[in-house]
Amino acid sequence: MSYTNSEIDKLVTPTKIHRAVYTDPEIFDLEMKRIWGGAWIFIGHESQIPSAGDYTTLNIGKTPIVMVRDKQQQIHVLHNRCGHKGAKLVDKPCGKIGGFRCCYHGWTYRLDGKLLGVPHMAGYEGTGFDKEDPRYSMQKFARYESYRGFVFATLDPSAPDLKVWLGGAGDVLDNLCDRSPEGEVEVAGGVLRFEHDCNWKMFIENLNDTMHPMIVHRSVVDAANEFIKTLPEDSPHRIEAEIIPPFGASYENFEATGITGFPYGHHYDGGKSSIHSDYSVDPDYAAVMIEAYGEERTREILTFNTHNTLYYPSLTIKSAIQNIRIVRPIAVDKCVIETWSFRLKGAPDSMLQRTILYSRLINSNGSMVGPDDHTAYFRMQQGLLSQASDWVEMHRNYGSDNDLGDRRTNSGTSDLDMRSQYGAWRHYMLGEVAHYG
Amino acid sequence: MDDKFDGVARLCDIEEFLYEEASYLDRPDLDRWIEQYTEDGTYWMPAIEDQADALNHISLFYDDRVMMEIRRRNFVHPRAASKDYKVRCSHIISNVRIAEECNDTGSLTVTSNFQCVMYYHDKQSLYAGRYTHELVTIDGGFKIKHKRVDLINCDGVLGSIIIYI
Repeated sequence: MSYTNSEIDKLVTPTKIHRAVYTDPEIFDLEMKRIWGGAWIFIGHESQIPSAGDYTTLNIGKTPIVMVRDKQQQIHVLHNRCGHKGAKLVDKPCGKIGGFRCCYHGWTYRLDGKLLGVPHMAGYEGTGFDKEDPRYSMQKFARYESYRGFVFATLDPSAPDLKVWLGGAGDVLDNLCDRSPEGEVEVAGGVLRFEHDCNWKMFIENLNDTMHPMIVHRSVVDAANEFIKTLPEDSPHRIEAEIIPPFGASYENFEATGITGFPYGHHYDGGKSSIHSDYSVDPDYAAVMIEAYGEERTREILTFNTHNTLYYPSLTIKSAIQNIRIVRPIAVDKCVIETWSFRLKGAPDSMLQRTILYSRLINSNGSMVGPDDHTAYFRMQQGLLSQASDWVEMHRNYGSDNDLGDRRTNSGTSDLDMRSQYGAWRHYMLGEVAHYG
Repeated sequence: MDDKFDGVARLCDIEEFLYEEASYLDRPDLDRWIEQYTEDGTYWMPAIEDQADALNHISLFYDDRVMMEIRRRNFVHPRAASKDYKVRCSHIISNVRIAEECNDTGSLTVTSNFQCVMYYHDKQSLYAGRYTHELVTIDGGFKIKHKRVDLINCDGVLGSIIIYI
């Protein structure tokens, strides 16, 4: 079957979601077209391509993309497909080129994607083929924009400006950059790519799900606390001892951190406090921050403490930790989650080292946190094949979201995050206004 | 002739030690496995080829004894959902070579190739790559000061890795 809009309309209510939203390949295909084809999608960071000819490749859904910097320093987001027979023009994760040249018949393109050369043109004379026809150039995304180095692109020419789309959630991207004494971050320390046997939405629905850590992560918190107890009191300080135990924080603790939701499906938990708030601050880092910003502004920056911030649907960041995760849907029951780390320019090396430690400890395929989350996700993916019920529920604190105009807030243990996401889901799938619940 | 014989006997001892360590991971028995490491021992699984640094670049694993102790407890915790499923491994180690040896301290660096077939959650997977063991001699036996595991697909897309390899 193919879904009509009125059928899609019935799949999501303010308190429940039909299981087909997670299990039906047709819904997945529609999401790729309407959500991933309509929203601003995170493409990469400018620091990955610092000079002319530098490129990086990625897939959005099944579509191969290349982000490249041209000789005028302009960044372009292009479809990675030759205008001739369709071969991918570059096929490494990143690299440097003078221009694009297809490996098959040698068609060449400028760094902005314009077709330059076609070998042995004589055969095309009088055939109607026109090398200047833009259809034969590399196709550009409808729009691409950078916000403080973070490059987003959209296939929808009528999408709102990136800054409007980010809305109040953009404060967290600002906070990530402001945590550098130079106000800039750069990608550093490599990437982890973690295959998940679940629908892509299960991962993003977990980001502000504060009802799970004390259950899912209890085992690592217990193991850490149990071992820490055996250590002599004068044992050296371990950052791990600051990072792991907050995953076992109480319901009341998470409730107090709050969740804030925005139009277009973005949201974060925390703000005044989060599970990252009690980390110790390297005095050398504090010193360079105070030198750059003064004491008051430094305090303001470092006490804006969010946990996970989602830019629906593709990017989630931890500004207080300086890592990000990127969502790459593969199929209705498969996605890849990438974890990247950022260096705060001008900050001591200890800051990147803490980011790397955090990513390894929490987000790595070999960690004691990520694999437990992943287990919950694939059990949902399998459990939802049951016909016992068609519905997934999201009632928590329904009806009590505080509407502050540009944002909504509620308890940190509410399903406000789910309501924000499914507002956006309906927006992209049905063309509705992107607030819901 | 004697030197050559000693050399072969030495290599046999080293291989025997590597097999023993692997046998604890086959079961897996982390209590016994940890005992193979020195107090300052570390286990490292880099995330890129020829990774030089575990602190400024992400790794899949980088554990010292503290993290090994936490992992050992986590592994048998009744509420660790990812550990609900039995893990069984079969490690094959070959191409064992002594890369470096210091006669004064009795420490040596041994490289080998490995294949680890892992059965977990109804699925069998194959991990392969190269081990580098830094060994020290204590009380006539070996202990591991550092083990490095370079997977041939360390920078590929990987699923959950539930146990040390």
